[in-house]
Amino acid sequence: MEKAVVLVVEDEALIRISAVHMVEDAGFMAVDACDADEAIAILERRKDIWAVFSDIIMGSTKAGLKLAKVVRNRWPPIHLILTSGLNAPDKSEFPANGRFIAKPYTAEHVVTVLHELFASKPAPYRLKSDPGRNYGRVARW
Amino acid sequence: MAPQQKQNMSPDIELNLALAVVASSAAPLLLLDGDLTLVAVSDSFCRAFEIDPGSVPGRSLRELGSGEWNIPQLHSMMKATASGFAKIEGYEIDLRRDGKEPRRLVLNAQKLSYGNEGSVRLLLSIADVTEARIAEKLKDEMLKEKAILLQELQHRVANSLQIIASVLMQSARNVQSEETRTHLVDAHQRVMSVAALQKHLATSKPGDVELRPYFTALCDSIGASMIRDHNQLSLDVTVDDSVTSADVSVSLGLIVTELVINALKHAFPADRSGGRIKVGYQSKGADWKLSVTDNGVGMSAGAPAAKPGLGTGIIEALTRQLGALVEVGDAKPGTAVSIVHTGIAQIANPVRSRAAV
Repeated sequence: MEKAVVLVVEDEALIRISAVHMVEDAGFMAVDACDADEAIAILERRKDIWAVFSDIIMGSTKAGLKLAKVVRNRWPPIHLILTSGLNAPDKSEFPANGRFIAKPYTAEHVVTVLHELFASKPAPYRLKSDPGRNYGRVARW
Repeated sequence: MAPQQKQNMSPDIELNLALAVVASSAAPLLLLDGDLTLVAVSDSFCRAFEIDPGSVPGRSLRELGSGEWNIPQLHSMMKATASGFAKIEGYEIDLRRDGKEPRRLVLNAQKLSYGNEGSVRLLLSIADVTEARIAEKLKDEMLKEKAILLQELQHRVANSLQIIASVLMQSARNVQSEETRTHLVDAHQRVMSVAALQKHLATSKPGDVELRPYFTALCDSIGASMIRDHNQLSLDVTVDDSVTSADVSVSLGLIVTELVINALKHAFPADRSGGRIKVGYQSKGADWKLSVTDNGVGMSAGAPAAKPGLGTGIIEALTRQLGALVEVGDAKPGTAVSIVHTGIAQIANPVRSRAAV
């Protein structure tokens, strides 16, 4: 429980592997899922996940948006980052306080967005590797 | 002549003429009296709705065929038309017959004024729009399907570019050689530049790329991945309202990518603070100028020119393809590289420039 855990959800294996590396390079711990069902199963099992970084279109449906809705309902404090090769969804479809990253994304973009989200609402426990970024503040939500 | 002939016409002949006009109408047409009894129907009506012409005279609209025309709304509207209260214009009904698909009909009816106030005559015309409506629906569905396919394609292209970019970045993480790593990072940036364009094209009208937002998005993308400290080095875009074709914009975007990568690599070897790279584009008629200017160390002061790399090759090939020329100047301090196109250059060697690429 030293690093905040980010759940990466992506159906394309190569993109998933690379996204996991981006998240780890940003100083987080990554776990990954290849679809929304697996993601929900992981969220039910682990209580240390503080951000979900998910593709919107998985298996030809907008499963990522449904997943985001479930996360907002059941685990409201979790940070949500959604990505897609298509344009950002309408505000009505988009989860509150969620962030959108267009595909193809760069590691820099993912890192920036993760840092911004955790800077505004840090994970509620102390982080071990925290070189000056100070996510370790105890959350007050 | 004509008026005289008319004068000679007996009322019977006039009536026959009217009936013959109705009968020969190419569009289904019914002539009725005030009680909705049929006076005449067109052959086209009988053919279209399978009515025996011999059975028509003297029947009421209700009794026509096997009673399929006994439609209460139609009757009340026809009655209202007969009494002059209403006029049927573009009224749509479904004609239902046993053992047949319903037909969608558009009706128009009006009371005829012909100088005989005693006897009312109504003219009802019928257009069968069933097929037209099916075709419209099909067209809507096809348009929807096309939009879905386009989205699917856009999704796949973005995913593919993401895979390529990801693999290049993974490779860059894993190689030992700094030189190889630089090449892989550059390749990654080239892929991201193509992606920025692809994204821009997906949202713009076909054949119509606005350069300012495109170059801005492109430079944002380059800046995001290649400039670590934005306080030290700035990348600015100054572009006029120029619009180009998609083909030309791809070439211009790739040239900008190479020139900016080049400036980032060579213009500020020691210290980037205060560093500035400007991307400019201006056009007038067929003449245009694309420029990338830095305030770095300049060509002579920089590292001794290595043998021209991939970037230089890309710039030269694309510039030739555009029928333009590369001009390198001293920006005092720094370097200004311009890609200049004049209308004359384009006319002078369009064939050669294409053949060279």
